[in-house]
Amino acid sequence: MEQKTNVLESVGQTFSLIRDMIQSKAGKDHPEWTWIYELLADHYAEVCAARRTGKPLAWVNFGAPPELFHAMGIVPVVVDVLTGTLASSQNAVGYVDTAETRIPDYICSNNKILLGAALAGDIPIPDILVHPAHPCDSNLATYPVIAAHFGFPYFCIDMPYFRSDRCIPFVAGELRKLVAMLEEVTNEKLDMDRLKRAMHYSNLAHEYMLKVNELRQAVPCPYSSLEAISEYGVVLSLAGTPQLADYFARRYHLTKERVARGEGHLTREQERHRLVWIYGAPTFDMSLLIWLEREHGAVSVANMNNNFVMKPVTDISDYDSILAGLAEKVILLPMTRECGGPWENWLEASLELLKGYRADAAVFAGHVACKSNWAVAKLVKDKLHDELGIPTLLLEMDLFDPRVTSSDILKSRFDDFFDLHFPK
Amino acid sequence: MNSLEELISIGSDWPSRAITDWKQSGKKAVGFFCCYVPEEILYAADILPVRMRAPGCAETTLADTYMSHLNCSFMRSCLQYALDGKYDLLDGLVFCNSCDHARRLYDILREIAPARFPFLHLISVPHKADKDMAGWYAGDLAAFKAKARDFFGADISDKRLRTAIESYNETRTLLRRLYDLRKRKTPPLTGAETLSVFLAGCSMPKDEYNVMLRKLLTELESRAGISDYRARLMVAGSGGCDDPNYFEVIEDMGGLIVTDSLCFGSRYFWEPVAVREDLMLALAESYLKRPSCPRMVDNVVARSDYVKQMARDSHVDGVIFQRIRYCDLWGGQMLHLEKHLRESEIPILSVDREYSLSAMGQLRTRVQAFLERLEGD
Repeated sequence: MEQKTNVLESVGQTFSLIRDMIQSKAGKDHPEWTWIYELLADHYAEVCAARRTGKPLAWVNFGAPPELFHAMGIVPVVVDVLTGTLASSQNAVGYVDTAETRIPDYICSNNKILLGAALAGDIPIPDILVHPAHPCDSNLATYPVIAAHFGFPYFCIDMPYFRSDRCIPFVAGELRKLVAMLEEVTNEKLDMDRLKRAMHYSNLAHEYMLKVNELRQAVPCPYSSLEAISEYGVVLSLAGTPQLADYFARRYHLTKERVARGEGHLTREQERHRLVWIYGAPTFDMSLLIWLEREHGAVSVANMNNNFVMKPVTDISDYDSILAGLAEKVILLPMTRECGGPWENWLEASLELLKGYRADAAVFAGHVACKSNWAVAKLVKDKLHDELGIPTLLLEMDLFDPRVTSSDILKSRFDDFFDLHFPK
Repeated sequence: MNSLEELISIGSDWPSRAITDWKQSGKKAVGFFCCYVPEEILYAADILPVRMRAPGCAETTLADTYMSHLNCSFMRSCLQYALDGKYDLLDGLVFCNSCDHARRLYDILREIAPARFPFLHLISVPHKADKDMAGWYAGDLAAFKAKARDFFGADISDKRLRTAIESYNETRTLLRRLYDLRKRKTPPLTGAETLSVFLAGCSMPKDEYNVMLRKLLTELESRAGISDYRARLMVAGSGGCDDPNYFEVIEDMGGLIVTDSLCFGSRYFWEPVAVREDLMLALAESYLKRPSCPRMVDNVVARSDYVKQMARDSHVDGVIFQRIRYCDLWGGQMLHLEKHLRESEIPILSVDREYSLSAMGQLRTRVQAFLERLEGD
């Protein structure tokens, strides 16, 4: 009998493989490069064991607060991390094709990979799916329909379009409803002590993360390009756990020492360009970032997806304050913050990143399914040039599917971009 | 000219005669996108609400310098018309966060053409229809009302708003009666004619429209029914389906469109506004209760049920599920709708299209095959 694929196990194995590979190749000089993969491999061990250990499993989208799930004993599977990892290990296109037998090709491949895996029976159906209403139609279009199709509970954290005084109370109200639904899923009441503990760890991690963010702006950049993008997976999966707090504590001390010594991932001489990815990353082939470092001395110093600017939740004394604090975080999580609401949200975040990280070029990894970003990409590009004199490379690509624009084509676009804007 | 001919003539022009007449009388006209914009508020202010379209837009060269080819061609066509000055007779535009394409059109116009549209507004509409959401929506409608009142110096009293709601509810009742006539075995008008009648109402004062609709309904009682069709069809799916020629292509093949689930169609008028003391809340609740667009996340099953029910009530042989390419919202619904209709043994033809009628040969081929399949069944 043919062995059935379980993508949760595949993804867990991918993290373990990456960890082991880094360990064998660079573990001596850069043990920190394995840290993220250690965390993710351990997390996926828990994910894979959930059915056996009786823990509920939630599919959560980029933008739902993991703290609540950890506090309630629910194992969150961040679907974007899952699909991105499948894409990076070349295991995604089959699921894209499966999904396209049921929905149009122009729906986001992030959603199609999840749907395809579910239709193929390669992923256990969750106990609930949770996502915020921002940032895009593709999520709104697919998540409720997938939940209806497979018949499992679903919750959308709705939020007003514009950021205003009423946003936080409104989203806090949504989180209150979410907790009520999670209580039904777990058949247990939320334990305030556990929630406070999760918030304590979340705050600890955040305080370190914000300090690390400041250090990362140093020249030369203390983070490698891959590190600058990879952290979002652990933050979105593990906020509210002691493991994440410990990770950022270690990160902070290491980065602080490195910056004090004037050390970068590349040397000051080698670091010829500082790129900020104002949107997306070549998920299907992250080695492109290494190629950029090697071929062009271009370090990807920051990425919008990994730009966590939210503040720790200052008051965790009671339930209302915690929900208000988490609401603010939900509103400001990457993607939700930049791509939900008016285009100025994206522009302002891009300007902040480019200035803060002292970048000399911006890259828009224009995912073909991100219609809202494509609609204003020209406006953003023009404004970045007008205000900072910085060029932006607009790349049309599918972040998860190399069949749309291959790595080779992307490389030639970069070659041309550097020739044009930074002639030797 | 009888009422049908007159309404078709009004619905076929851009700008319609009704808009130019209104403007010549010195009054204001404001365009709006999406049927989650309660136009009663504008009408109460004696402002003509005009449902935005770009009929006949054949190319989008200028618009494409801003929007991408990955954006919906309906919104790109509207941007093209805005840049071409074809909306210059309008005194403003109102949007809601109906979809990614529409909200970005609002952004682009704000950035590049603020002088052209001094009144630009986006209403934040929730994605769920529960009680709390109605409160949020009502708050946003109140803000919109205040902005329109201040900007145009208009009187939008509760009394005027109630009168406007009454007029709109009458339109809804009359259009439902029109749709009821199409349930007959020999409907008195084609789908293309019905759409034209509907479009006339998108750009004329509802009180005048109601007079014409009443007259039309009387005239249709004595009009010979259509019997020489091969199959009774329903059209469902995304916005931007506002070209009677698209329906004509289908009907020229022998299909007769007898009902729809479209925002340029039944979903716009199917449910009346239930009046209550707080009129903003009344509008919010009623608009949220209408047959929904897939931008609303909590109505997946109800949305497919609505298509099924409309198909059954109108004795439909098959459903043409059309979507403007890159409309994620209706693209996602496809997963549920196709399964739902197949389980109910209602044949479905799923078609992606562009806003302009650029691939009608392909449509003809697919409709021909669909009709043959229906006849075979």
